[in-house]
Amino acid sequence: MDKAGHEVVIIDRDPNQFSRAASRGVLTNDFRGNQVVGNGTDADVLRRAGIEDADGFVAVTEGDNRNIMASQVAKHIFKVPRVVARIYDPERAEAYEKLGLHTICPTIDGAKAIEKTLLEKK
Amino acid sequence: MYVIVVGGGTVGYYMSRDLLERGHEVTLIERDSRRADWLETQLGSIVMRGDGCEVKFLSQTGIERADAIVAVTADDEDNLIALQMAKRHFNVKKTIARVNNPSNVEIFKTLGVDEAVSATEVLLGALEPPITT
Repeated sequence: MDKAGHEVVIIDRDPNQFSRAASRGVLTNDFRGNQVVGNGTDADVLRRAGIEDADGFVAVTEGDNRNIMASQVAKHIFKVPRVVARIYDPERAEAYEKLGLHTICPTIDGAKAIEKTLLEKK
Repeated sequence: MYVIVVGGGTVGYYMSRDLLERGHEVTLIERDSRRADWLETQLGSIVMRGDGCEVKFLSQTGIERADAIVAVTADDEDNLIALQMAKRHFNVKKTIARVNNPSNVEIFKTLGVDEAVSATEVLLGALEPPITT
């Protein structure tokens, strides 16, 4: 998204995560966005990251509950217009989708993609 | 009163013990099976092993007839999700959360939790009147 010209801020609670991403080539030197160290469910950390001016918010930590909570804080407390949460657990993803949270469930999407490939290609 | 307690750490253990002593019916949910084993030696068969954020698991706890659910794990996000599931799926009348980050007290209420208690805030309150220089 940074390469596409958007302004991006990344939050991670592990300060080493940023250098790890850089050394793996995930976060290249030309990344212009900001990096904030802190817990993404913490309103103060989110404020520090500039959430009050954000047009979009994405929660993609490895923890479903953390993603759900961070997304709800972004959506309902800070009124961010576009919010997406990654939720691995299909049951939880469905429950929160019903509650109006935009969710991506890689488990279901992955299974569907694999099934599609299996049936289409010999 | 039938109370479900989510999280069998120190707070969950003492709370369950106290509620039992006062004659209430309690189910204590603990995710870690070794911790649950220990809790069982102290509190008996009221302990259930599982994830208090999972609807399927919660439905096995008799949650439909619970008067209250209290989430007291050390993780605010886990407490929030467990209580939202309890409220939205099972319509539990009273949902109470322990929050670790004091600023989550207001946030939890906005997100549908009936009561949110911050030990940090209580301790800070004990310092009142604030020490002035």
